[in-house]
Amino acid sequence: MSTAAAKAPTADGVAARARGLTKAYGAGETAVLALDSVDVDIERGRFTAVMGPSGSGKSTLMHCLAGLDTVSAGQVWLGGTEITGLKERELTRLRRDRIGFMFQSFNLIPTLNAAENITLPMDIAGKKPDGKWLDQVIDTLGLRDRLKHRPAQLSGGQQQRVACARALVSRPELIFADEPTGNLDSRAGLEVLGILREAVDRLGQTVVMVTHDPGAAAQSDLVLFLADGRIVDRMEEPTADAVLERMRLFSGGDPQTPGPDVGHGSAGPEED
Amino acid sequence: MLRATLRSFLAHKGRLMLSALAIVLSVAFVAGSLIFSDTVTRTFDRLFASTSADVTVEPKQDLKSSVPTGAVQTVPAALAGEVAKVDGVAGTHADVSVQNIVVVDSHDKSVGSTTGAPTIATDWYLTHRSPVKLTSGHTPRGAGQALLDADTAGKKHVRIGDTLTVQAQPGTFRVEIVGIATFTTTNPGAALVFLDPAVAAKELLGSAGRATSISVDAAQGVTDAQLKTRIGAAIGTGTYDLKTAGEQAKSSAADLGGFLDVIKYVMLGFAGIATMVGVFLIVNTFSMLIAQRTRELGLLRALGADRRQVRRSVLTEAVLLGLVGSTLGLGAGVGLAFGLIKLMTAFGMNLKATEMVIGWGTPVAAYAVGVGVTFVAAYLPARRAATVSPMAALADAEIAGVGKPLRTRAVVGGVVGVLGVAALAGCAAATRTAAAASLLGLGVVLTLIATVVAGPLLVRPVIRVLGAAFPALFGSVGRMSQRNALRNPRRTGATAAALMVGLALVGGMSVASASMSKSFDQQIDKTLGADFVVQNGNFQPFTQEITDKVRGTEGVGLVVRQRFAPVAVRLPDGKRVTTTAAGYDPQVDEVAHVAYKGGDTAAALAAGSLGMDVTFAQDHKVRLGSVLPVEFQGGKRARMKVGALTDQDGGSGFGAQGGLFFGIATVQKYVPDGQDSSLYVNRAPGTGADQLRSRLEKTLAPYPQVQVRDQADYKKLVHDQIAVLLYLVYALLGLAIVIAVLGVVNTLALSVVERTREIGLLRAIGLARRQLRRMIRLESVVIAVFGAVLGLALGLVWGVCTQQVLALQGMKALAVPWGTVVAVVIGSAVVGIVAALLPALRASRMNVLAAIAHE
Repeated sequence: MSTAAAKAPTADGVAARARGLTKAYGAGETAVLALDSVDVDIERGRFTAVMGPSGSGKSTLMHCLAGLDTVSAGQVWLGGTEITGLKERELTRLRRDRIGFMFQSFNLIPTLNAAENITLPMDIAGKKPDGKWLDQVIDTLGLRDRLKHRPAQLSGGQQQRVACARALVSRPELIFADEPTGNLDSRAGLEVLGILREAVDRLGQTVVMVTHDPGAAAQSDLVLFLADGRIVDRMEEPTADAVLERMRLFSGGDPQTPGPDVGHGSAGPEED
Repeated sequence: MLRATLRSFLAHKGRLMLSALAIVLSVAFVAGSLIFSDTVTRTFDRLFASTSADVTVEPKQDLKSSVPTGAVQTVPAALAGEVAKVDGVAGTHADVSVQNIVVVDSHDKSVGSTTGAPTIATDWYLTHRSPVKLTSGHTPRGAGQALLDADTAGKKHVRIGDTLTVQAQPGTFRVEIVGIATFTTTNPGAALVFLDPAVAAKELLGSAGRATSISVDAAQGVTDAQLKTRIGAAIGTGTYDLKTAGEQAKSSAADLGGFLDVIKYVMLGFAGIATMVGVFLIVNTFSMLIAQRTRELGLLRALGADRRQVRRSVLTEAVLLGLVGSTLGLGAGVGLAFGLIKLMTAFGMNLKATEMVIGWGTPVAAYAVGVGVTFVAAYLPARRAATVSPMAALADAEIAGVGKPLRTRAVVGGVVGVLGVAALAGCAAATRTAAAASLLGLGVVLTLIATVVAGPLLVRPVIRVLGAAFPALFGSVGRMSQRNALRNPRRTGATAAALMVGLALVGGMSVASASMSKSFDQQIDKTLGADFVVQNGNFQPFTQEITDKVRGTEGVGLVVRQRFAPVAVRLPDGKRVTTTAAGYDPQVDEVAHVAYKGGDTAAALAAGSLGMDVTFAQDHKVRLGSVLPVEFQGGKRARMKVGALTDQDGGSGFGAQGGLFFGIATVQKYVPDGQDSSLYVNRAPGTGADQLRSRLEKTLAPYPQVQVRDQADYKKLVHDQIAVLLYLVYALLGLAIVIAVLGVVNTLALSVVERTREIGLLRAIGLARRQLRRMIRLESVVIAVFGAVLGLALGLVWGVCTQQVLALQGMKALAVPWGTVVAVVIGSAVVGIVAALLPALRASRMNVLAAIAHE
């Protein structure tokens, strides 16, 4: 696959692309490969889930694709832009203008109310949000009567919906969601997944979601399975059972607890 | 538990560093001032003890004047012979030593000290007690020869063979420097000129038969005290003061002590400010450390540590911090004392840094201050730590103290504040200076406490207003920085309080000094009618020669002399008041506008009469026409009639208590060898002001000690004198700001750590580093400006009340230096920016991923 690495993607149906993406921690003999020459295309207008056991590199993959982390080798493109090699300032601007983020927890700025959190990336950029679109997002996500609330006054599900609205409102090329349902009960989790699903189906939004919950992965169009820093499998039109079955293979018949679970740490520290 | 405490202390040493720095600063000032004053005291005690004669006979010092008269009190030189006959006297010497001289070089520049130390002319009489020895040249022989001390010679580039002009009271004479005398002991800073003993009395006192004192050597086996008693019996103690070597040394040290006390109090003032501001810093640091360690403390509690143990653990940490800070501070204090000693050397006072004295009191005071302050400051946070529940270990706890209502603070702050305001209101309404001043002091302390206590309550309303424009100006970044400042009102309040204390002080002092300047200006406008005033910069009197030369200058119309005389008056209410009276030439109305309640200038200046301030007169039941017994120096007495009562704004503001004045003839009669202190000069008709000024300046060129001033110059002189006070205040402010900046840095640094995840999130969704830095900078600015606004508001109120007290002293004008106020607010914003530099840099360097993953 590495032969294709140098070829830049054209503005076809690919939102993000990685070629030979390698991420190593440490150096020399003690180096640990978090990502081992990964080639991946994230197709535009699709809901892609990334799964894998702890330490498989799924969060690292997301961080590298989103310009949050530097790569050790390989190339990453967002749309037609190669982001590997971009300067810190350009990366920041890219994240601000072209990518939306949802994290597992601590998604919102506690000093800002819901409305201010939603428009934050645009405010930072000094842009005026498109009023009609903003209203539509707010109404779609049912946040109209919560706009003046501070995050502390919102439930976990409401908080994630605000984060979702923030990701949607700037109409980014790509939304990265890192365990967005990890801290929610199953009903709230389903609600958030439903919103992401709808964003893809009705608005043509591209979403990449890291999860270890087969139920959440089942909402996606495509599941990529990572193990030991490589993409080892992919599953179109997944179902929860099929995903669970596939995951079982990784750990020798001992899959992670299925279903939306609370109390699992975020993916970051596990993998680093 | 102790091990856990030690571990925690070491783990947090970075965060404790700024607190330690505050302790180091305050301890350094305490230790430095103690070491310095001990060293100076020891040095001079030694000097005076070694240079004092066994017994000294001096003219009676019955009235000490705060204003120099220029007169030298003398004893007959023949007294030396008389004393020599007393049993037990081994030898006597008639000393001649005067300070009412000015020595100038061939360029008409004074060779004396420019820092206020005296120029002394004395006879060259070497004994084993002499502080100097001849190091080059030869002893002065006859008139026209002199020695100069080596320090002065070195500083003013005088060499053997140079000619100096000595302006002495009997007349000016020129001397050739024939030798250089070097101090074998510490030079207190004076410039010394030595003359041949054969001519010294004639040249300096005008008569060979006079002396300024008699030094007596005791014979073997006779104690100083015995000898003093015997001499007293022989010559009487009514006209002479007799002092043993010990007494003489003590009184010399006391004369010098005033100056040293000033340095000591200034240093202690610095220490006080440093300590006060440091307390806020320490309270804040410990509060924040405890907030961050809520879980850890909860775990300790869950594992079975009781409240007392938790509290003790925090306090032990504080004591450790205090010990470290005190030790470093003690070291810094030695350095500071060393610097001060070097500084004194620059002023001409040759202290030896190698002979630094560190008394046992210094380390005791250093550790008492350092550890005590830290302990007290950490006490409240420690109590709060002890209230952390074991549940905190499990829960994703709310940070301790944030959500707690500020009710107690509101109540305490409110009550103390009301009392303080009442005291200040009482001060403004008071009619007696003493009462007003004590109410002012009380009000200042109470309002300060109230503002500090209630500070966190003011955070929300004030910062809402201060930061109101932020969202509009800086968008989300501005909004977040404003809200971050509002996030923890206690923390913001305590951080700003450090700045507030310093700025309140400055605000108050600048209002007071601006009001003083304005009052003096108005007074000068109202009372000074002369075209020019000829005066010494330090109000030192000058020789007759200058008066004669001024009178002889072409274009001078009228010269009115002013002289001072120390007096004591016995008043009808039974009080004896010692003060300084002024004497004027009769034409005083032409150079000054004096308002009279009764009588007039002629009546006040007539022979046997005096004038007096009407308020002072009323206070002491004096009426127009009252006859008062007045004592002058040297035991002279007179009965004088009150010829006039003056009603001047600030009658006692300029002069001495009581505003006593009489004709210059009276001064000449009772203080025969006095000198003029000021000359009020009017133009002759047909002479322009500039013309006369340049002529006067030309006339006075050989007399560098006096200056010609018109009204504007005179105002400037007064302003400059008030400004000295202000410079001191600004220096205090500087220190307070340094520590306050440390406090802001501290708060921001810890806040940044606390908000790691939030910062990571912001960076992830696209906040640029530059924007992040701006956000922290703006938060810092808003905290600093909050402190400044609070401090200035408090300071302005204090200043206005202080002016009310001054008004009782006749300084009725109120001036608010708005320029300074605006400058301070802008300055505080700059302080905020500076304080944010490091924390902002640190935040912007934070790794985005690590920040997101932060737990």
